[in-house]
Amino acid sequence: MTTQQLRPIVSVFPIKGKVKTIKQVPLPSVFSAPIRPDVVRFVHTNMAKNNRQAHAVSTTAGEQTSATSWGTGRAVARIPRVKGSGTGRSGQAAFGNMCRGGRMYAPKKVWRKWHRKINTNQKRYAVCSAIAATAVTPLVMSRGHRVNKLPELPLVVSDQLQSLTKTRQAVKFLKFIGAYRDVEKVIRTKKTRVGQGKYRNRRHVLRKGPMVVYARNLGIKKAFRNIPGVETASVYTLNLLKLAPGSQMGRFIIWTESAFKLLEDIYGSWEKPSKFKSGFYLPRPVMVNTDVERIIKSDQVQTVLRNRRPRSRKYGKKIQRADPYEDMSVMLKLNPYYKTKLQKQKELEEKNKEERKEIVDKSRKEYEDWLYFSEEEEEEEEEGSDEDREIEVLSDEN
Amino acid sequence: MSKQVPETIKKQAKRSFNSKEVKQEKNQKRMKLLKEIHEKAYKRAEKYEKEYLEQEQKLVELKQKALKEGSFYREPEPKLAFIIRIRGIVGVPPKPRKILQLLRLRRIYSGVFIRLNKSSLRMLHFIDPYVTWGYPDVETVRALIYKRGHARVNHQRKIIDSNEMIYDKLQKYDIVCMEDLVHEIFTVGKNFKHANSFLWAFKLKPPVGGFSTVKKSFVNKGEHGNREQYINTLVKKMI
Repeated sequence: MTTQQLRPIVSVFPIKGKVKTIKQVPLPSVFSAPIRPDVVRFVHTNMAKNNRQAHAVSTTAGEQTSATSWGTGRAVARIPRVKGSGTGRSGQAAFGNMCRGGRMYAPKKVWRKWHRKINTNQKRYAVCSAIAATAVTPLVMSRGHRVNKLPELPLVVSDQLQSLTKTRQAVKFLKFIGAYRDVEKVIRTKKTRVGQGKYRNRRHVLRKGPMVVYARNLGIKKAFRNIPGVETASVYTLNLLKLAPGSQMGRFIIWTESAFKLLEDIYGSWEKPSKFKSGFYLPRPVMVNTDVERIIKSDQVQTVLRNRRPRSRKYGKKIQRADPYEDMSVMLKLNPYYKTKLQKQKELEEKNKEERKEIVDKSRKEYEDWLYFSEEEEEEEEEGSDEDREIEVLSDEN
Repeated sequence: MSKQVPETIKKQAKRSFNSKEVKQEKNQKRMKLLKEIHEKAYKRAEKYEKEYLEQEQKLVELKQKALKEGSFYREPEPKLAFIIRIRGIVGVPPKPRKILQLLRLRRIYSGVFIRLNKSSLRMLHFIDPYVTWGYPDVETVRALIYKRGHARVNHQRKIIDSNEMIYDKLQKYDIVCMEDLVHEIFTVGKNFKHANSFLWAFKLKPPVGGFSTVKKSFVNKGEHGNREQYINTLVKKMI
């Protein structure tokens, strides 16, 4: 269900005397609810609209003239103009949102949707998140509360606090427990409101100080009422607008012991439903274990992973390679026999050359022999060939 | 000063694929394999040289024998052709376009090897006006694969820069080096299909000295169609 199966223990402090633990109570399950700033923001922005009062512009504003357009042909704009004469107003433009004294664009109506419906479960989710955030010190600090001197967060205090009646007692308690620094901050930073709210009965702006949550009001409400910045609330009706002012989670809350214990009943847990909100269980987180790095590095995951692939060269450097017919080293890498082959070819060529030389020499010799021999024959023929010649001459004449 | 090593790092170091020993082992294995391939490459190249020479000589012998007997020797029909696409992609009708696609001739001056049989001859008939083709000899096949041979690795076109590349892909067909590849292509062996598909289609340069006219067939003093053994001279100009 949740990583926090063991419920941690929170100390309960007295309201005076010595700041030391008088009791220890288990942390209610609400504080382990998922902290969802997105849900809180959504619910807060819509919830904040719910205390608005309707406002609108007068329905007749800007319409209380009988202005008509002069039409074309008069070298003036065609906007409706006030009828009549004898006064500065006559001939002036009227009705349009661009006209002086005219009605506004889309006059505001009271039937504007001022309030927002929010799903009940969403509202409860947001409240659970906001309560869980009040126990997270960094969140409370980042919200701006001065919580350095507190003995513990969440701060739980004995039920005697509920019986306080005097403001002096309340202040004494706050100083005792170390929460007065937050109140001092509120007092110190009280300012006049910026903007026109200042003359609309909203003159001053105060920061938010600690919130005191009680189970039973036996005077506590009145005791803390006049302390600037401090708010009181019953644990049965915790308001998101107070728990996460400005949709910023981490309000500094001082719980009374019984209020703290009641949280378990009011909001329930994942096994037991709430006693006060019918059918409501605490919201479940999307991830039970959010330590992603640890999950990835765990044995269960790492043993099932495949091996890392070598970095792909797809968008990297193109492999350049020289032409193997020009670069012998490249050729030999691809065909180690190439060198031997060239050698053998060379040897063969040499051998052929020699053979050819032999053949050529032989045939040349034969030819020369034949030449020499035939020369001798010719000479012999020339000596005794007159008869033949005569015959030839005779034949020509015939 | 002893440093405390985090548990996770200790565990990671234990896991097999990261440890030094495993990496070393892998490396050693690879080195051994490369040496093997190198030796094989040498031996097979030698073997193939002899084979090619013998084939030539055999052919000559048979021809001479036939002459002596007074008959003719009919050479076996060529099994391998090299096709080069010599027309661009504009205005090609659908049937030749599809056939060119099937043959991986998707751009001008791209070339592929193809095994010749009745079906492929029919295909060539359709694309004759767009290609020129012929019967390459060993040296042409060699030059193409060595100089312009790119492998199809992981859907990428990568130049063949080592025999390891060929071994990785074609080891199961007993082709482990360049010469094996050349042999398989040239002699159109049992695994011609795989050897051929391992090769990306060759991208050639336009021919040095140009073409006469691509519009006419080779037979008519043009360039397209079957040019039998003259493909070799053309490839030399285009490689």
